[in-house]
Amino acid sequence: MTDIILEVKNLQKVYDDKKVVNGISFNVKKGEIFGILGPNGAGKTTTLEMIEALRPIDGGSATIAGIDVASHPFKIRSIIGVQPQSPAFQDKTKLSELIQLFAAAYGERVNVKQFLDDVNLAEKANSFIENLSGGQKQRFSIAAALVHSPKVFFMDEPTTGLDPQARRNLWDLVEHVRSRGISVILTTHYMDEAEQLCDRVAIMDNGDIIALDTPQKLIKDLLSRGFKKKQHVEQANLEDVFIDMTGKELKG
Amino acid sequence: MKQQIPWIILIVVIVGLRIVWRVFRKRHAAADEIKQNRPLGRLKPWQRKLYTVYVFAKLNTRRYFRDKTAIFFTVAFPLIFLFVFGGIFGKNSGLSFKVAVINQSDSPFATSFTRQVNSSKLFKVSSGVNTLDQAHDKMNHDQIDAAIVLPADFGKTQDHNHYPSGQAVVYYTQNNQQAAQTLTSVMDTQFKSMNAKYVNTAAPFTVTSKQLGGQGLRQFDYTFAGLLGFSILGLGIFGPVNVFPELKKQGILRRYHTTPIRVWQYFMANLVSQALIGLMTMAIMFAVAIDVFHLNIVGNYAELALFLALSIAVIFGIGLAVGGWAKNERQAAPLANITTFPMMFLSGTFFPRYLMPEWLQHATNYLPLTPIIDGVRLIAVEGKGLLDLGPQLAVMAVWLVIIYFIAFRVFRWE
Repeated sequence: MTDIILEVKNLQKVYDDKKVVNGISFNVKKGEIFGILGPNGAGKTTTLEMIEALRPIDGGSATIAGIDVASHPFKIRSIIGVQPQSPAFQDKTKLSELIQLFAAAYGERVNVKQFLDDVNLAEKANSFIENLSGGQKQRFSIAAALVHSPKVFFMDEPTTGLDPQARRNLWDLVEHVRSRGISVILTTHYMDEAEQLCDRVAIMDNGDIIALDTPQKLIKDLLSRGFKKKQHVEQANLEDVFIDMTGKELKG
Repeated sequence: MKQQIPWIILIVVIVGLRIVWRVFRKRHAAADEIKQNRPLGRLKPWQRKLYTVYVFAKLNTRRYFRDKTAIFFTVAFPLIFLFVFGGIFGKNSGLSFKVAVINQSDSPFATSFTRQVNSSKLFKVSSGVNTLDQAHDKMNHDQIDAAIVLPADFGKTQDHNHYPSGQAVVYYTQNNQQAAQTLTSVMDTQFKSMNAKYVNTAAPFTVTSKQLGGQGLRQFDYTFAGLLGFSILGLGIFGPVNVFPELKKQGILRRYHTTPIRVWQYFMANLVSQALIGLMTMAIMFAVAIDVFHLNIVGNYAELALFLALSIAVIFGIGLAVGGWAKNERQAAPLANITTFPMMFLSGTFFPRYLMPEWLQHATNYLPLTPIIDGVRLIAVEGKGLLDLGPQLAVMAVWLVIIYFIAFRVFRWE
């Protein structure tokens, strides 16, 4: 299959004789949003960091666009974008300068104005990063991670600690990234997020992938095993009430 | 006042140039923008890597000028030290006597003599001393070296003469024998030249003194080199030791780590901006030392700048190693103190090393900061060139290799 952008085979990580990632395998297609789900300590972040060439791989392999991660870490870093859990930028720096800085980190120079135009931050080009609102910072952070037009975009728990509005705003941004043909790989422990956003999900527990499919298929499988929720589900939940009453627009 | 005029002109010129530059930039803003936004085109890989260093260094430096606290600690702080230590050590240039003048005569000659003593640089006249008892008391408290007493008949024309005459008396205590003897002979010489005006005498034997080349070092020259060393220490170690753990805490370094930037690129960018800021700080210190404390620079400024840049590189390496290794401030602070304190006290920052016992001088020769302080003094006030600084440069080169080897080894992005 030629449209596979990321291929993970039997990936392992061992800390002090304890297997944190236990030989997992999966593929991600071009333009796909792929979710890695699981409780805290399941090995999601470690898996991601190995694929991002931030952490040595103890066993197995990962290849992105045909390039082996372990043997070409710097080549890998120049074709991936990474959004850390809580994005931070050095203060007293203008947006236009930060874009220059990140482009330079990849050995590139970009049209800063056009770049900020694309994320509706052109009028903020000369503002310091600390003077942006939460939503603007989120938009900017993703823009900065995509400054070199990567092939794969990694997000580690992008919505942890965000309020419902900011969460929804981020989902839109992720969809937008995908629309540019970039594959997105994200970790989360919010199931509604995975269901809403991801084309396919891998569920991890104790370093193993215990299920891998589309969210719809996984739900169907569960129902076909005769699963029934104990309680009748309302057509709306409390979050729907909250969003309806406070509006979907991002605040602050 | 006269010596301040060039400074005023210099400031006016700098401000003027800056205004012209701004107008120029505005006119060409459009062209600039196109230039700045153009893709890099065909660059060789190593050129791209240096471009990364250039942008990081540029933005780092620019950011520094927006940080008022950083400016305070790098510029104002050493300046305060300079004024404190300059005030202590800068004044005692050459010979001077603290004296009291007790004029008991009302002759015009005595009055003019007193006035001369008051205005002379050789004497610091303690005012409000009218009697010998008061003077004695001040001598006992070491507030004056001696008292010059002009008796009532001083400067009056005696019966048998047709010119004024008199004998001044120098009183001193046992504490001040040496000062008083020097003072007496100095005054004797002055009186002799005065006497020549009234009584024509031929002097078959005379003695005159000539200064030999090479300037003697003043206490301040040592102090100033030490203060520069102190400022390099602050800039090179406490700067990165405070900044890097903070950048790690915020995850900023981790984010750079996800890009293809290499550790050497990041180090080099930081070093370049730190060296620029450091040279600027030290230029200000030199300007103040020269203008206010009459520091006499005899060396070559280009060699001095080069030597200072190298010095910053050595000391900044220590900061990089400590700050780059430490995960947080709690790890960084003790290690920074352990590495800085020996240099702070034993390399000649605050008191000259020639005051130490010989064995300690030998041992402290090999601290990284010692050759820096010695070298600054040798170039700046003793007029030596870089080629004369073999031993200093050798010690610095060895440290440079060791320090950066460690710094690269222990650096952590998070």
